[in-house]
Amino acid sequence: MTASQSFPRSFDALPAIFDFTSGEFARQGIDPRLLATIDLAVEELFTNMVKYSTGTDARVLIGLNGIAGGVEVTLTDYDVEPFDVTKAPDVDVNLPIEQRRPGGLGLHLIRRLMDSVEYEYSEASRQSRIILRKTLAGA
Amino acid sequence: MLDIGKGPDGGIVIKGRLDAAQAPTAQAFLDQVEGTVTLDCQGLEYISSAGLGVLLKTQKRLLAAGGKLRLTGVNRHLQDIFGYSGFDQLFEIEPAR
Repeated sequence: MTASQSFPRSFDALPAIFDFTSGEFARQGIDPRLLATIDLAVEELFTNMVKYSTGTDARVLIGLNGIAGGVEVTLTDYDVEPFDVTKAPDVDVNLPIEQRRPGGLGLHLIRRLMDSVEYEYSEASRQSRIILRKTLAGA
Repeated sequence: MLDIGKGPDGGIVIKGRLDAAQAPTAQAFLDQVEGTVTLDCQGLEYISSAGLGVLLKTQKRLLAAGGKLRLTGVNRHLQDIFGYSGFDQLFEIEPAR
């Protein structure tokens, strides 16, 4: 059972996105213990799309699908340049506070919290697609 | 939604969701605090990297002035996020009871 919905490229869309994820968790019977982690991953990826892919007004499509023991989420961004989130550099979280900067923590957290993160890009359609999977076994 | 304000014992109480949409509200409030400040996170359900940025910026400012930000009532999910972010080395954290 897959559900999807598109959202405008704005931070103001976050409440509607969280309504969508929590609504689908309830409708599809997905374990609510995974919701905060999924919300975090979706927020980080969505806000990156809003911040860094500024040359388009295309809406971002978010799909959510219950899988055995967990959930799969897909974010599709249209008319954008490629940016492979799986290859972004890690943050050194052991630096002293004077050298710490907030940037980059989102992707760092996603890689630690998700069971898997996949990235696909279509040159022909200029379409980025990120697929996240998370199960309770990996929690 | 996010609710942040002064608690009955003089500390700061934060409740709800500290996401990218709510981070400016939290930052504007925390920019006004001084000294050693306790942030009661008992009602904080969710934090993203935007919220972590708010806490980091506040901690840097307070430490530079001889104060600090203490986090109390931190639930298991938030403890995981703070741990993966290295924030457990930057903040005094008291877990939720």
